[in-house]
Amino acid sequence: MADSIVPVKEIEEKMDTDKMWVIMGPQHPFSHGLWTLKVQLDGEFVTDADPIVGYLHRGWEKETENRTYPKIIPMADRLCYAASMTYTHLYCMTVEKALGIDIPEKAKYIRIVADEVCRIQSHLMWLAAVGTDMGNLTVFLWCMREREFFLDLNVKLTGARMTTNYPRIGGVRNDTTELFDRDILRTVDRFEKALWDIIALIDDSSIFVSRMKGISYLSREQVANMGLTGPAMRGCGVDFDIRRDDPYDNYDKIDFEVPVLTEGDSYARYMIRVEEMFQSVEIIRQAVAKVKAIGKNAPYRMKVPSKVPKGTAFMRMEDPRGESLMYLVSDGTDKPWRLKVRSPIFTNVSTSKAMCMGCRIADVPAILAQIDMCLGETDR
Amino acid sequence: MTIKYLDKYPKNLAKSLWVMKPVWTVFKLFGKTVTHRSMTILYPYEKEWIPENYRGRPGLRFDKCVGCGMCVRMCPTACIKLIEVDDDAGNKVMRPQVNVGRCAMCGYCAEYCPVDAMTVTPEYELAEYTRYDLLYGPRRLNYEGTTEGMEVHLELTLPSDIQNGNPERRVRLADLDKPELTDSKCIGCKKCAKVCPVGAVKMVEKGVNDKGKPIVRPEFDNAKCIGCSNCIIDCPKNALELKEVL
Repeated sequence: MADSIVPVKEIEEKMDTDKMWVIMGPQHPFSHGLWTLKVQLDGEFVTDADPIVGYLHRGWEKETENRTYPKIIPMADRLCYAASMTYTHLYCMTVEKALGIDIPEKAKYIRIVADEVCRIQSHLMWLAAVGTDMGNLTVFLWCMREREFFLDLNVKLTGARMTTNYPRIGGVRNDTTELFDRDILRTVDRFEKALWDIIALIDDSSIFVSRMKGISYLSREQVANMGLTGPAMRGCGVDFDIRRDDPYDNYDKIDFEVPVLTEGDSYARYMIRVEEMFQSVEIIRQAVAKVKAIGKNAPYRMKVPSKVPKGTAFMRMEDPRGESLMYLVSDGTDKPWRLKVRSPIFTNVSTSKAMCMGCRIADVPAILAQIDMCLGETDR
Repeated sequence: MTIKYLDKYPKNLAKSLWVMKPVWTVFKLFGKTVTHRSMTILYPYEKEWIPENYRGRPGLRFDKCVGCGMCVRMCPTACIKLIEVDDDAGNKVMRPQVNVGRCAMCGYCAEYCPVDAMTVTPEYELAEYTRYDLLYGPRRLNYEGTTEGMEVHLELTLPSDIQNGNPERRVRLADLDKPELTDSKCIGCKKCAKVCPVGAVKMVEKGVNDKGKPIVRPEFDNAKCIGCSNCIIDCPKNALELKEVL
């Protein structure tokens, strides 16, 4: 803890000084969504932090038990509005695993394209939020502008902007539409150039860098013990990505790099996410070429039985925010007996105490922006 | 593949933050931005282009609909209800009514419609003053200018087709699954014939029982059947079962 600036010499006996609890949220501008962070302050410094979530609990897991399998797909969209495609994809993969079927190659590559578009758009939304948290509205506006192009791609492919309802058990909803591959390649080419402008706004600004560089250090051991996943984990030196290390849906046939940094501070977490966007662009280019090579008449959706055999299945995937997991228990009917969701943010936000400890109160929004908060999946 | 951003940036940041660098960046981006064309539109007067398959509110083609209730069963938010209305000839028919206030625009009704009567429409400006106004009756659901692209076709590939080396064959869900009768359970109540929306069930006499009364059993016309499973749901003795083709 920092000493007082003016040394007070006349006090010889040490007295207890009060610490103060400041409650940030659920209506605080830093909390993206409905959650509360209680921080204990010793003057300017954070000595304790306590996240409170659960304002958005709507009983998602229980609700799924009363629905047939296809009806859960639109619900899975609404787990996270920024990354709806990945959750739907995860749900479909879980049910496919329980059914023990292998979906057509074309569907796998289309899902990869859709997933990576979703990842870029989710990361752009995060970058926009970082911009506003640090007081730079230009970053927000430019990120939202770029994101709009990817939402247009969603419309072109699926017919909806955000809650796409696109993957299906056994494939995808529809084939790639006419001229979709041309549009997506143009969009990512344009995006790569535009992203450098946004990066220049952040990296060349001493305000941004001094707010993030060297702040909120987490070690590899801390990350492993607390269960932090996703880009935040890779920024702390843990080299693990499910797309590469436990590949699902043909990610093993695609060549990409997993960015890892050992700094472990806020700035490293920021840099990992930006690099991930560039890698997603590469993945999109390869996957679109693969879809084109497979041909127009190849199957993209298989017929699956409506009843899932008795048993359990679990599947995990690399969400834009971390490692998400679904665990399905089936009793042989057309409705799941239990569907458990592991959301990455629920675990990531529990590390906020370790992240904020010893930092200044003004740095708290900048630190917690790196979690990329999404309450829909946290509270479920 | 190459790392694009990380190799370029983790250099000595303290050096690169010389005072002229941010100023240079600002001027560079300023120059870029003023030569850019505007990215916004004047919304009520200009509108964004939307494709044909855009999922707005559901639409209904009254004449094509058979009132099977597949949309009611597939709707995840339970916002569709079958109501009795007069058709053009004055007969009472069952047609769907949609509570658009609850609709999630998922497009399932259009996707699972066996006769392609339900469509998606590009209409998204749905604000009304009261909730009652958001109830769309069968006639109001009609969307003028419905095109082929608004129909959502559920085209499936059978796993058996892929195994047999015929992966390009596409089948519709309506042509696949047909009801099958367990003869010992049937009591001949004729309920399936009553609820069938397309008249594919015919009651046929098959001999007489011990008391001399005729035994009637349903017979399914598979060419007419659309696989809506109305008869299966309404069967009081669970004698019917949907046989899934795989």
